[in-house]
Amino acid sequence: MLAVILAALGALFLLAPILVVVPMSFSTAISFAFPPPGYWLGYYAKYFTSEEWLEPTLNSFVIAFGAMTLTMLLVVPAAFGYVRYRFRGKSLVNLLIMAPLIVPHVVSALGYYGFLGRVRLAGTLPGVMVAHAMLAVPVAFLVISATLKGFDQNLEKAAMSSGAGPFRTFLYVTVPVLRPGMLVGALFAFLSSFNEAVVAIFIGGRGAVTLPKKMYESIRLESDPVIAVVSTLLVSVVVLGVLISMFLRGRSAHVA
Amino acid sequence: MAGELSAVAVRPGSAVRGADRSATAWLLLAPSCLALALLFVVPIAYVLVLSVSDPQLSLAHYRRIFTVPVYTRVMVNTFVTSLIVTALCLVIGYPIAYVMARRAGWMSTVLLTIVAMSFWTGFLVRTYAWLVILGSKGPVAAAYGALGLGAAPQLLFNTFSSTLGMTHILLPYMILALYATMKKIDVNHLKAAASLGARPAATFREVFLPLSLPGVVNGSLLVFVSCLGFFVTPVLLGTPRDMMISQLINQQIEELLAFGFAAAVAVVLLVATAAVLAVYNHYAGLDRLWG
Repeated sequence: MLAVILAALGALFLLAPILVVVPMSFSTAISFAFPPPGYWLGYYAKYFTSEEWLEPTLNSFVIAFGAMTLTMLLVVPAAFGYVRYRFRGKSLVNLLIMAPLIVPHVVSALGYYGFLGRVRLAGTLPGVMVAHAMLAVPVAFLVISATLKGFDQNLEKAAMSSGAGPFRTFLYVTVPVLRPGMLVGALFAFLSSFNEAVVAIFIGGRGAVTLPKKMYESIRLESDPVIAVVSTLLVSVVVLGVLISMFLRGRSAHVA
Repeated sequence: MAGELSAVAVRPGSAVRGADRSATAWLLLAPSCLALALLFVVPIAYVLVLSVSDPQLSLAHYRRIFTVPVYTRVMVNTFVTSLIVTALCLVIGYPIAYVMARRAGWMSTVLLTIVAMSFWTGFLVRTYAWLVILGSKGPVAAAYGALGLGAAPQLLFNTFSSTLGMTHILLPYMILALYATMKKIDVNHLKAAASLGARPAATFREVFLPLSLPGVVNGSLLVFVSCLGFFVTPVLLGTPRDMMISQLINQQIEELLAFGFAAAVAVVLLVATAAVLAVYNHYAGLDRLWG
């Protein structure tokens, strides 16, 4: 019983601060006053009409989509090679793939700041996209290689012995079985880029401002109330996504 | 790709030779390894080079970090803050993970939903939320006024607010690591203890707690390491007077344009992180950390 009470308090600590942003987004106050002195939709109107916020939103989607695509192109073959073969230097390869998760993001950010400046990609969408793709590689790799480890290769053998060629086997057996894991891996890669702040702050410059970078600057430089609107929209998307995944997976515990 | 994969479906010992197989593996791994070497390792190496060559070739930056009191204080402060955040996450997170793992039904589902929600909500959103809550016009300040306690103390832009913010943000990582281990604990062990006459408290202390320790180590390590290099929250909620490493890096670049020194600080952070993870790798194997 004590555990339940402590857990409830802990859950409240997790949840309450996130929910605070919702009433804030309808507030008439110019500063961060809570509870709000009055309610309106003015800052929603401002968000949906201001270039200053819509452009970073679009940038975030474009970068996350590009990073996800690049990551998947690299990770899917890598996961097959890593899981299904034994070869020398495997642990070194593992270390290389995991490196972006091990190195603190602020260190990577500093590295990209210098490196992308040298190759003239600082402050460009492709620059941030490439950096985010590298950071997402270990994230997607963990998901996809786990899926691949759980894959029963007897299914492939059965298909082959029933006369299917390697191509047909891959297309009609391997891909459909692995599809859910691939989709989760892609989603994780997308979100890893969409939520990434530190590297984006360092290398986004003026030309590739993402939503987290814009929020960071908005907090630091001016207290723009539109940030409450953006936060509320982001929280709504997360709530929706989590509820849908809970619904789809029933009692399965792997939402995170 | 399909052609190469066919090799897998053939039984070992048949026509496929070891060398061919390993060549296929490298073919599949080459794109990602090359990309990471060129687009990740090179930038990190660039930081390393910068730290000893900007503005001139010397180890002076490193000497400064470890001898000038301002900077050694930053290192100590980062270490201590990370320890505090880790301890707080463990204390708050353990009961949540425990209930999630031990109680079936709605309670576990609700907790899992809350944890997943907060896990996926961006750092900036949650940092902003704390700016509102702890702000001078926020609910805490209002509660002070309502209770007649007078003006609230300064809650923002100090070690307190940045510690609280980081705890809130890293808590889901701790809970998920704990939960992953606790979920695997065999219920029969607990039943056996109970049937041998152990009271619930004793069963927990003697059986459940020791079996959950790997999760405690995993979660603590994840939180501690994330905290060492945490950027957004210390910069936005903390104070320049009690800086963490990432704040120092930011300050050196933003205000002083001292790239060489910032790079040296980053290298120290990287080495510290790698050292902690190397110790873990030695005893447990790094694969288990994210598993």
